[in-house]
Amino acid sequence: MIPIEEIYSDPRIVENLNACINCGVCTALCPAADYYDYEPRYIERVVLSHDPVALEELMSSDYIWYCGQCMSCKARCPRKNAPGVVVSALRYWSQKTGLFAKSKMGRNQVLIKQSIGQNIYDLGYCVHPSKLTKEAHPEQGPVWEWIFNNREKAYSLVNANIDKEGAGPMRKISDDAVNEIHSILKGTGALDLWETIENSVKETSINNKK
Amino acid sequence: MKKIAVIGGGVAGLEVSKQLLEANIPVTLIEQSSKIGGNIKNYAYLFPDFYNAEELLNSYHYLITDPNLQLLLNTEVAKIDFSKKTYNILTKDGISVPADAIVIATGYNTFDARLKEEFGYGIYENVITSVQLEQMFKNKEIKTPSGKIPERIGFIHCVGSRDAKVGNTYCSRLCCVTAIKQAIETKKLLPSVEIFCFYIDLRMYGLLFEDLYLSAQRDYNIQFVRGRLSEASEMLDKRILIKVEDTLIGKPLQMSADMIVLMVGMEASDFSKQFKYHNGLEVNEHGFFNPINPHNLRNLTSKDGIFLAGTAIGPMSVGETLDHARGTALSVLSFINAN
Amino acid sequence: MEANNEPKKRIYWREYVKDIPKNDYFYFRSCIRQTFFPGAEQMFLKILKNNLNINYKDDPNLTTCTGIGYHSDIIPLETVHTMVARHFSLMNESGYSNFVSSCVTTFGVMTEALEMWHEFPETLEKTRENLYKTTGRTFEPPKAIAHASDIIYLYRNEIANQLKYRLINQYTGEPLKVVDHVGCHYSKIFPQHGIGGAEFPKVLSEMVKAWGGEIIDYPERRHCCGFGFRQYFIKESRGYSLTHSQTKFESMEPYHPDFIITNCPGCNMFMDRWQYVIQETTGKTYSEDDNGIPVLTYEEIAALLLGYDPIEIGLFMHQTNVLPLLEKLGIDFDKEQFIAMRAESMQLQPQM
Repeated sequence: MIPIEEIYSDPRIVENLNACINCGVCTALCPAADYYDYEPRYIERVVLSHDPVALEELMSSDYIWYCGQCMSCKARCPRKNAPGVVVSALRYWSQKTGLFAKSKMGRNQVLIKQSIGQNIYDLGYCVHPSKLTKEAHPEQGPVWEWIFNNREKAYSLVNANIDKEGAGPMRKISDDAVNEIHSILKGTGALDLWETIENSVKETSINNKK
Repeated sequence: MKKIAVIGGGVAGLEVSKQLLEANIPVTLIEQSSKIGGNIKNYAYLFPDFYNAEELLNSYHYLITDPNLQLLLNTEVAKIDFSKKTYNILTKDGISVPADAIVIATGYNTFDARLKEEFGYGIYENVITSVQLEQMFKNKEIKTPSGKIPERIGFIHCVGSRDAKVGNTYCSRLCCVTAIKQAIETKKLLPSVEIFCFYIDLRMYGLLFEDLYLSAQRDYNIQFVRGRLSEASEMLDKRILIKVEDTLIGKPLQMSADMIVLMVGMEASDFSKQFKYHNGLEVNEHGFFNPINPHNLRNLTSKDGIFLAGTAIGPMSVGETLDHARGTALSVLSFINAN
Repeated sequence: MEANNEPKKRIYWREYVKDIPKNDYFYFRSCIRQTFFPGAEQMFLKILKNNLNINYKDDPNLTTCTGIGYHSDIIPLETVHTMVARHFSLMNESGYSNFVSSCVTTFGVMTEALEMWHEFPETLEKTRENLYKTTGRTFEPPKAIAHASDIIYLYRNEIANQLKYRLINQYTGEPLKVVDHVGCHYSKIFPQHGIGGAEFPKVLSEMVKAWGGEIIDYPERRHCCGFGFRQYFIKESRGYSLTHSQTKFESMEPYHPDFIITNCPGCNMFMDRWQYVIQETTGKTYSEDDNGIPVLTYEEIAALLLGYDPIEIGLFMHQTNVLPLLEKLGIDFDKEQFIAMRAESMQLQPQM
């Protein structure tokens, strides 16, 4: 049972679902449609059908995880829809209800929570040089590897006070600021979402082992 | 002696004038350009049977010499006044045209395709409009601007129509059948050219239109892809790269073409933009003049004595325009006789 | 600023220029730019201060906007709105009212927040409530939001007058051929927030033209670089990101660009790194000298042409070697030091 009313009142869905004419303009230029077997048009179609069974199936599948959030669709749609924004909303509800754990790509969200989410929580940044190891990001190349191993030198050459107090790029975010982040994450439901993400994936893997 | 002013020298205005002159009513025909004919001057052949547009226009030429017709070319309307139960049109040159009734036959503009930047019109030389292609039919020669004979041409439906992003959400009705007509004409001139029509829906509303579509596929091998053009970009050799989705297969499609033809829609004329709330004239949300009732009072405005004829009220074919204009002439005659 | 800002009548987007504030900027840093191109941010501030005499505030209490978290779907809508509100609150406290963001994702997230608060006032109320109950803060939205590249666009002619070098190839005397890559979230979400609209955004191309270069139009110009947020962060879908950058490279190659200029830090990083990956895995490079096409941010290019030191700008932190570009531009710099740094960072023997 998915919270149909709540999903359809999500402002992202209300605003960006204006009856699709299936013209294909969105799918024509969608990078995800090029790379995966995917059409943003299909997302609009299912959501517009108001069919709870189809919607639940969609939210439990890999399908909603193909989008790269570039919003090229929003720029072109002649009915002023935005499949990319609708996908954002569906992904949220898929995680909130735990349905995301039924799909392989969905379960990968736990990795995002553990990397990006944890960075936000611990450091106040989404991305931090100390986390971009060669193992995690071999594609960053040899120059980055050198920077990673010679951080102090590299950053000081460009006047960046990495991990130090005061203003500047990659500064240490003060404890006060980090505490405010914690409070916001807690009070707006992010920490709850993260817990749901972890638990749903754990449950699925336990169930899969049985 | 009653006198009628007709604003607009296109086929609607010409037909109304013709009917009134035959009933011995004097007409002042006000036309902003240097020639009569309006938009039909841009057409070579009319769908669905490739009727010669120039012949149709020429059938009105005799009116110019009618002593009861005052033809004002190169004349634009500045103001329409109503006082003492008669109208007075003031032109931009300062000429006063008194009239007992006025017929608005101001036609339409084609959509300015430069507004649809993702199609590259006005930027890439091999993107042209259906109006420009029609001119090539008149010259009986189809070439790209650089003089090359195209080997593949794409027809792009719905340019400036059914598009909230450019402010025209309505369908212009006639572009689909025009595209098929032009595709067939192109194939006749260049038998070896490959033609693709990129459409969303095919609006074959006229009795013979579906037959034309069938003929296009069966006799002329014209290919139809159900996918609206998303983007046209220019390749190194100036050919156009088309990006659409083949929605019937459900996959994105990229294709190169030597030339693409944008089927530009019909929009309200400049006159309607200028005179929209003037003296009882109303426009609807799409900018065209509103008749009192779209069913049985299609020629009348809410102002007594001001009438509408032709595409001033919305997209129409030539045949439909002439039907409508004859109705307008009848309404004008009834009005004059009653007053 | 009117959140929705949509022009009242139809316009040719290519000619569209939005209102850009002229001074007193509240600067908001970018997680990705700070990580990969920290020199670029410092150069932006230096240019504001030393070259343009513009007042700005660099508040250390700012944090991530969580936009990356939002687009990777682990940050709920209410959270990102509240984080945005927190930063507006800090801006209010500082007395500044012109918000300038370094990151294009931040720019996108903030314009979306403002627009949603406008269309759905209950979301604004909820955000106020959330911010207050979690931090005790209140806030007012800024008068103006701009991206840092808008500022450089605005002052491109003033900068042009101070340039030590222009975008001319010193060997041939010809203007350099430049690919301008504008970040997707800059104008695809709301064309009225991008200079020149979504199809022919001109924030970067006008800079290039003002500084003597020539812009290349190629078929995949508007194609996303492929960041894809979660597509990149998850190893198994990282190929998504590589594929789209590659699509762009393949498309621009026949036009022989001398370099790529970007305004989004992510795009800059990806197009810089993926050329290396393509070379390692397939042997292919996209430039005639086999070096690859250097990818620079607008701050880096502006600083370079104004005569700032390439090392201080941080050009040694690029994977695709910037040296051929420095030579084409005729930059006067410590070439030996640069080459030595390159060798060290590439773990190679130095080559002269």
